[in-house]
Amino acid sequence: MKLLVTGASGFLGKYVVAEAVRQGYAVKAVVRPATDASSLAWANHPAVELVRLDLRQGRGIAEALSNVDCVIHMAAVKGGDFYDRFAGTVLTTENLLGAMTTAAVKKLVATSTFSVYDYFTPPANRVIDEAFPIESEPEYRDAYAQTKLIQEDMMREWGDTNDATVILIRPGMIYGREALWNACHGADFGSKWLLIGPNALIPVTYVENCAEAIVLSVGSAAAAGEVINVVDDNLPTRRQFTKALVKRTENPPQVIPLPWGMMRGVSSLAWFVNQQLLQGKARLPGLLIPASLDARLKPFRYTNAKAKTTLNWTPRYTLETALDRSVSDQCLLSDMLAKAPANPTLEPVAQG
Amino acid sequence: MGKSLKAAVIGTGVISKQHLSFLDSSDHSELVGVCDLSAAAAKYAAETFHAGQAFTDYQAMLAETKPDVVHILTPPNTHQKLVTDCLNAQAHVICEKPITPTYEDFKTLWQLAQEKNLHLIENHNYRFNEAILNIEDMVKDGTLGEVQEVEVRVALGYREAGGRFADRNLPNPVHKLPAGVVHDVITHMAYLLLRFMPEVDRVAAAWSNHGGGDLFKYDDLDAILLNGQQHARLRFTCYTKPECFTLFVRGSRGYAETDLFQPYLRTVIPRAGGEQLSPLINHFVNGWDLMGSSVKNFRNKVMQRTPYEGLHRLLDQTYAAILQNQPMPVSFEDMDKTNRLIETLLAEENRV
Repeated sequence: MKLLVTGASGFLGKYVVAEAVRQGYAVKAVVRPATDASSLAWANHPAVELVRLDLRQGRGIAEALSNVDCVIHMAAVKGGDFYDRFAGTVLTTENLLGAMTTAAVKKLVATSTFSVYDYFTPPANRVIDEAFPIESEPEYRDAYAQTKLIQEDMMREWGDTNDATVILIRPGMIYGREALWNACHGADFGSKWLLIGPNALIPVTYVENCAEAIVLSVGSAAAAGEVINVVDDNLPTRRQFTKALVKRTENPPQVIPLPWGMMRGVSSLAWFVNQQLLQGKARLPGLLIPASLDARLKPFRYTNAKAKTTLNWTPRYTLETALDRSVSDQCLLSDMLAKAPANPTLEPVAQG
Repeated sequence: MGKSLKAAVIGTGVISKQHLSFLDSSDHSELVGVCDLSAAAAKYAAETFHAGQAFTDYQAMLAETKPDVVHILTPPNTHQKLVTDCLNAQAHVICEKPITPTYEDFKTLWQLAQEKNLHLIENHNYRFNEAILNIEDMVKDGTLGEVQEVEVRVALGYREAGGRFADRNLPNPVHKLPAGVVHDVITHMAYLLLRFMPEVDRVAAAWSNHGGGDLFKYDDLDAILLNGQQHARLRFTCYTKPECFTLFVRGSRGYAETDLFQPYLRTVIPRAGGEQLSPLINHFVNGWDLMGSSVKNFRNKVMQRTPYEGLHRLLDQTYAAILQNQPMPVSFEDMDKTNRLIETLLAEENRV
């Protein structure tokens, strides 16, 4: 089976390509034309074909899909303004889906996000699973959530229209060597780190664990047409996660804990003032918009039961091991590739 | 609600937000259609700004909605065909700058608009910003005396990694225009200069590509323009910070300056205290005004008011003028002189 992986040089994508090779797949890895591939340990691997494409334009995508059985779609943009994100997330997906129709590729594994859920309406401490409500008022959320919601809708509609299999993987906050301090465990204020709601669980997944789950979904019959949340086992609290990070950071920021209730109160007050006195026209930072704040930091509980049963997946690395790997000098991609079969086969040789 | 015009929009990129937000809120217009090559982008724009329909084929939109006015917001190299087709469909056209890559192309379009008895407007939005209107008033009422010198200076980080124009993966279409990325702002610079120095008889323009490479044609312009004893300078750079769009107008009695990105108005003119006290009064008055501008700019930033304030004013005046059969706020002469000046700046014989 041959996979086409988009966003292959991205934070998650490069691990997904390595994991796909480790699981015995042949991979067409899509990177942008100007990408420097020299740091991608799999770039010259015999199981990997590097394909240089910019998905923001349709040209060449259908050709790249020849002999491809399944697409793992991870290309997205997390920076820039709304229009940059729209182009990098929505237009890329639209072009990809159009090309998949042309090339008659009928299987898509797409990486979505926990950001599509509605965190504002449901009460705190509920368990977030795949049946959790989706955001219905995206205008109050950031551009990332808005574009990912549009993207999910497009992919579902494409699956229905083309009688194709779409598997939506929704990872929690992915951490790894390139992204350790993240928006789900606090806010960066220069040399200070505001640890908001220290006792709440943080829905993290280590990048190698997440990559394994994504690739496992390709060969899982039970995953067809499903939405699957991916978080690791034994989720830490924000305090525990931060403490583990501080231990491994050379010059850590000063951590200042702030109770969730206090931050939520400040945010609600700012929102009230904006709505009542400024007709809602003021642009506030995300922490002062309750819907955005809740999406990042409201206390919930999480489950990975569906991922474990559907994908026969068990997160390989614990928090401590994952962080040790992240701060080590080891080339993690090479380590993953070392466990790959000598030659890719037409069928997966490993399923977890 | 009074009489309104049926409006349609082609192109839903970054600038479309400004046009669409006007059309969504104006009593002079009814937004009947939005068109983009991307169905997802057209649908998003139509839903967000309450357009009647979304299209991916502009000819179909023209045929079905029969708009009175079409806003063309696509890349400049597409304008010629789109403007021609919209005029042939009996619609007035408001076109983003630069209206065409060359002066000859502009004249062709203008000829067609005349034959069809339709209006053709190039977006000269900054002319309608409050600070520019104030300086125009000071010229008209003689406060500044006879205009002797004009300087328009633009500093933009077009070379910065991650920016729209520095993206080597999918080069921005503006790179193919005669002035490269400078063409993105040269229209604004030219029409602002011409408001205060309507004629130019000598030009010396230094076009440079200081950063080198094959993506950028030019990244710097330094041009001196003369009309008799009047002097003007047009300056574009990617290499100074902070980003700015400043205008200096120096007259025989005093001078005025503003920055459209962080608006303020500084005027050094004869005051009621006579020659002895005028310098002191200018200091105090300008200091006070600067503090007021700081507060106003902060408020504008929070309230999401952008330097595009002039665009809504221009569009409002344009729609009102069409409805009342009055002269357009941007005349043929304005556009003709602007595009002729750009051609002159680019002419080989005027280069140094």
